[in-house]
Amino acid sequence: MPQNNKRPEPPAELREGDIARLDAAALVKILTNPAATEFQKAKACQRAGELGATEAIPALAALLADEKLSAYARYGLEPMAAPAASEALRNSLGKLKGNQLLGVIASLGKRRDTAALPALVKLMQRPDAALAQAAAAAVGSIGTPEAARALESALPKATGMMQIVLADSALVCAERFLADGQRDQGLALYTFLSGPRIPRAARHGAMSAIVREETSTRRPRATP
Amino acid sequence: MKTRRQVLKQSLAPMIVPSVVLGQRSGQVAPSDKVVMGGIGIGSRGAHDLSKILKFSDAKFLAICDVRNERRETIKSTVDKAYGNRDCKMYSDQYELLARPDIDAVLIATGDRWHTPLSIIAAQHGKDVYCEKPCSMSIEESWALAQAFQRYNRLYQAGCQRRNGANFKLCRELLQSGALGKLKTLYANVGPSVNWPPLPSRDWLAGEDLPPQGVLDWDRWLGPAPWRPYHPSYVQGGWRNYYDFHGGGILEWGSHTVDLCHWAADLDDTQPVEYEPIGGNTGPYAVNCRYADGVQLIMRDNGWDGALDTGSCSFRIEGENGWVETGDKTRIASSDNIKPLLRPTEPAPMALENHMREFITCVRTRRTPSANAAAAANSHVTCHAAFIAFQRGKKLTWSVEKREFTNDDIANRMRSRALREPWRI
Repeated sequence: MPQNNKRPEPPAELREGDIARLDAAALVKILTNPAATEFQKAKACQRAGELGATEAIPALAALLADEKLSAYARYGLEPMAAPAASEALRNSLGKLKGNQLLGVIASLGKRRDTAALPALVKLMQRPDAALAQAAAAAVGSIGTPEAARALESALPKATGMMQIVLADSALVCAERFLADGQRDQGLALYTFLSGPRIPRAARHGAMSAIVREETSTRRPRATP
Repeated sequence: MKTRRQVLKQSLAPMIVPSVVLGQRSGQVAPSDKVVMGGIGIGSRGAHDLSKILKFSDAKFLAICDVRNERRETIKSTVDKAYGNRDCKMYSDQYELLARPDIDAVLIATGDRWHTPLSIIAAQHGKDVYCEKPCSMSIEESWALAQAFQRYNRLYQAGCQRRNGANFKLCRELLQSGALGKLKTLYANVGPSVNWPPLPSRDWLAGEDLPPQGVLDWDRWLGPAPWRPYHPSYVQGGWRNYYDFHGGGILEWGSHTVDLCHWAADLDDTQPVEYEPIGGNTGPYAVNCRYADGVQLIMRDNGWDGALDTGSCSFRIEGENGWVETGDKTRIASSDNIKPLLRPTEPAPMALENHMREFITCVRTRRTPSANAAAAANSHVTCHAAFIAFQRGKKLTWSVEKREFTNDDIANRMRSRALREPWRI
C-alpha cells in the first residue's frame, strides 16, 4: 500500500493554527498590525474571505498593492457580496500598477462590476499589452451592451494576442447575454464574431454558437 | 541519344509516388493525417501518458513546454529517442508552444493548480486538450472549463482513464442492462487519509534559497496559486496535501471514482443535492451524498485496495437485484446472482492506452470523448462540494439549478479561489 514518504514539517510560525477560528475583529487586528508576518496576514485574508468579514474590507484593500499578498487580499474580497468590496477594488485601480493591477481588474470582471466598466474600457486602450488584455477580459465578463460595443469597436484594430483576448472576451460577453435572456443581443454579437477578420478559433466558436442556439429546442418558435 | 519524348516517358514512372513514401503501407498513416501534439508540464504521470502517444502511428509529439529545465530535457530526449530524430522543440513559455499552427492538441500534466487555466488558454488557441486530473481547483473553475470548451467547440479528454477500462465498462454494462436492477447506491473510494487527508494543510514550509531561474522559474511554477516561499519539496511532488495546490483525498481519487459513478449511472449532467461529511482528518472518512431522485453516492476512504481487495480507485454499484465492485486489480467482486454474467477483462494498464487512443481518434473524427469537459465539470463539482462540506464539518444542501449551496453562505464563498495575478480564467 503506497504511503507518504517522510515529508518536511512546517515550522511553528508557519502553521495556520488558531487563525482558522478567528472572528472578524481578530482578523482585522492581524491585517492592520505592522508586526504581523506575511504568513499571518495571508491566512487572515483567506479566513476573512470565507467568513465574509466585511469589517476587514479596508484592511484587505490596503494589501492589494503588496506583491506577495495581493492575491490573498483578493481571495478575501472577491467572494464578499457586499458592494463595499467592489468599491474597494474599484478605488484601487488608480493606485496600482503591474501584476497587482491586473489582479484587481480580474476580480472586478469576476464580480461583474458594471460601475467599473468606464475605467476598464479606458484601460483596454492602454499600450501595455498585459494591462489592455486583462481589461478586455474583465469587460467581456461584465457583459453589458456597453461592454459589447467597446469590444466590437476595439477588435478591428487589434492584432496578435490582443486580438485573441478581445475575441474571447466578446464570446464571453455573448454568453452573458444568452444567460441573462438577451438572446437577440447574444446572436448579434456572435454574428459579428463570425466575420473573416476574427481569429479562427473564436470565429469557429461563434459560428458553432449560432448553430447551437438556432437549433436549440429552447429557441423561440415563430407562430403562424 | 534519347528523344525528348523518350525522356518524358521515362520520367513519368517515378511521378507515381509509392504508397510507402506516403507512409500508407502496413497500416501507417500519412503525415498529413497525423494528430500533432505538444505537452505542457510533463512529470512522472505525464510521462505515462506520453508513452502511449508515442506508440500511436497516427499521432506525433513535437513540442514540450516546462518551467523546469530538467523536465524539458528529459522529455525531449525521450521523444527524440522514440522517433529517431531531434525534432522535439523545447519551450518554457506555453504561449510560444500554443502559437504553433501545426499543433492540433496538447497534453497537460502539470500540477493541479495549472490544469484549468492552461486548458482554457489552449482552447482559446484552437487546441484540443488531454488533461490530467483533478481538472480544477474549485467549483468555479469546473464550470469555466466546461464553458470554454463549448465556447471554442474544442475537444477535451480528462485523464479519467478508467472510463476506458474493461472491468469498469463491464460493471457499467451490468447496471445499464438492468442486471443489477434499479440503482440504489453508488460507492466511490476516495484517497486514503494516510496518503491524502481530506483536509489538506494550509501551512507553509520554511523558505529556502531559490535555484537559478534557468533551472526553475518559481514564479511560473506557482502560476495561479497564491505566493509562498520556495521549498524544493513542493517541486518534487510535495505540493500535494497543501490546500493552495491540492483538493485532498476527495479530489485526488474522487476525480476518478466519482467520475466512474457518474459515467456508469448516466449522471454526467448533474450533481448530488446533499453532502454529509463523516469522520475526521485522520482515519477513515466519508461523505454521504444524495441525488434529487434519491440515489445515494457514498464517497468513502476504504483504504488503498478497498475492503474487498479490488485495488486502488475502486467503485461499487448497488442495485435492487445485485451489486458489483471493481478497481485497479481488475477483478470484479459481485453478488452471487451476478457472477454468471462476469467475463475476463483486460490488464489494468490497457485503460490508459485505450483512453489516449480514444482521444486521438476523437481529434481525427471530431467525435466527443467520453471524459469530456462537461462530464468532468459535473464530477468535479460533486467532489469540490463534498470537499467544502468536509471543510465546513456540516451537512450541506445544493441547488443543481442555481449552482449554489442553499444552507451555508461560507460554503458559497468557497466555491471559487482568486487566482494569483496575472493569471485568470
